[in-house]
Amino acid sequence: MNRVNALGKQNVKKELKKYLPFYMFLLPAIILVILFCYMPMDGLAIAFKDYKMARGIGGSDWVGLKHFKALFSDPNFYRVLGNTLKISILTLVTTFPVTIIFTLLMNEVGNQKFKGVVQTITYMPHFLSWVVVGTFVYQLLSPTGGVVNAILVKLGVLEKPLYFMAQKEMFVPIYLITNLWKTTGYSIVIYLATIAGIDTALYEAASIDGANRFQRILYITLPAMFPTMCTMLILSIGSLVSVGFDPVFNLYNDATYQTADVISTYVYRKGMVESRYDFSTAIGLFQNVVSLALVLIANWFARKANPEYKII
Amino acid sequence: MAHKVKDESPKIKMKKSVGSHIFDTCNVIFMVLFCITIIIPFWDVVVRSFSRAQDISYMHINFLPKVWTLDAYKYCFQDNEIISAFFVSILRTVLGTVIHVIVCCMAAYALTRTDMPFRKVITAILLIPMFFSAGMIPAYLNMKRLGLLNNFLVYILPSGFSIYDTIIIRNYFFSIDKGMEEAASIDGASQVRIFASIIMPLSQPVIATVSLWQMVAHWNSWFDNMIYCRRSAELTTLQYLLRRMLDSLTASTTTSSSGVEAIGTLVDTNPDTIKAATTILVVLPIVMIYPFLQKYFVKGIMVGAVKG
Repeated sequence: MNRVNALGKQNVKKELKKYLPFYMFLLPAIILVILFCYMPMDGLAIAFKDYKMARGIGGSDWVGLKHFKALFSDPNFYRVLGNTLKISILTLVTTFPVTIIFTLLMNEVGNQKFKGVVQTITYMPHFLSWVVVGTFVYQLLSPTGGVVNAILVKLGVLEKPLYFMAQKEMFVPIYLITNLWKTTGYSIVIYLATIAGIDTALYEAASIDGANRFQRILYITLPAMFPTMCTMLILSIGSLVSVGFDPVFNLYNDATYQTADVISTYVYRKGMVESRYDFSTAIGLFQNVVSLALVLIANWFARKANPEYKII
Repeated sequence: MAHKVKDESPKIKMKKSVGSHIFDTCNVIFMVLFCITIIIPFWDVVVRSFSRAQDISYMHINFLPKVWTLDAYKYCFQDNEIISAFFVSILRTVLGTVIHVIVCCMAAYALTRTDMPFRKVITAILLIPMFFSAGMIPAYLNMKRLGLLNNFLVYILPSGFSIYDTIIIRNYFFSIDKGMEEAASIDGASQVRIFASIIMPLSQPVIATVSLWQMVAHWNSWFDNMIYCRRSAELTTLQYLLRRMLDSLTASTTTSSSGVEAIGTLVDTNPDTIKAATTILVVLPIVMIYPFLQKYFVKGIMVGAVKG
């Protein structure tokens, strides 16, 4: 920008003309971003309005913070917020150690071919949609033909098949296990790539100094994974209040709303199913603002700790 | 971009202790169990899709179908809804990916001009939506205003641009030798020409990576179908069709077994086997491109992780 100011008006024109083809190259992207990212922003106004479909966004009356007041006095909202925080924290607490332990174990596999096969198999679920994963889970846990019920009944653990997916206290465990099933293989690949960058001389030096296998893992491999771990941690703090819509939506049902409903699914049901557009937009806005704040805070802390860990 | 991802652990030849051997054995067993856990749901769905409906019950654990049958697949291939959904999914995947790659590559090429006026402003405009979005309902109202409800374009336009992919492509473009571009420019080639016949052909690896990402994303997406094209039967995608089967299952099990009649005419095949066969149809294309995914996906992750 300084450059532009420094040049005369004539030169600016010349510059712009020179770069005209490049502005044209950017045009489709800018148009798409304006159409689908910026144009919806005016719809945020209905969070502060009494939205009437017939009168449109601009024509509806302002009601100030009515919807937010309604929101903060809505017991359902606190339930949903609680579920969201609970699910995201538990997800963090389970995926983090599991991924790190699995990565370290995978890294210790000596046979490269075997290791390749294991990786190929285990990160396959990453490419499946949550609809497919949801179908898998419903099917495995089905009371009419599910393998899990079949085994539990055969073993005598259960007297008759249980409809797991309709048990509200079962939702969170099912969610966490499913999430691990889908994401662990992929996360391992990311961490392994970090480990691959470790200088082998370090290991050699350590073993000459008499470090055993466990010590080498503890003092060389683990510290090398640290920056990636930090990045992942920051990312998950940023998404603390935004448990993904997909996994919950494809695993919950009316019987498990009590424990499974998170902000994004609540926004969907209030808005798209019950057509309470204004109220639903208010919840969504609350979620997005809090998310943004969390990302910025996490990023600020990360930069304070080590400039390399920052996301933005 | 030149980062080669090889996850070879350091090869150190040393005398292994007994403890080390025990650990190795346990580790291999553990890894095998890990793989089995991942495979079970796939195996289960394959078995179901080839089974007769009456053989599926919690009374039996079937490692293989009791009686092999193609009934469920026959049903799927005769069902117009499933066939139509399959083609809608293919079409959106192909068109959506092509548009995405073209838009992102063009933007990426422009963003390689570091001394272009207003470059920072434009980058900021493109970057901000990554951190703040209007949300579900405003997006829906906007689509309605744009006339994109129940319109095929809603599948391919909103995902046409992604700043993340653009940055990855741009980083790759930076690595291309500037000399060739300059030579072409001296020979009088236009920027469009340079982009189309020099830059793009030289960027096949990154284009392959981004294309595969986008293909998977398109093939797997269903939410846009559910909220923007819910009422349009001819625009139903395969994923959403499967999602609706999940809905009917949920409904049938909570309001006691009324789901079996839904299929009606077929006595032999219950929704379970048909659902399984449909799931196979949904998963199969992904499995088919999996070798390519493996080759390029990890590379892409690393580019993202290093430069992101």
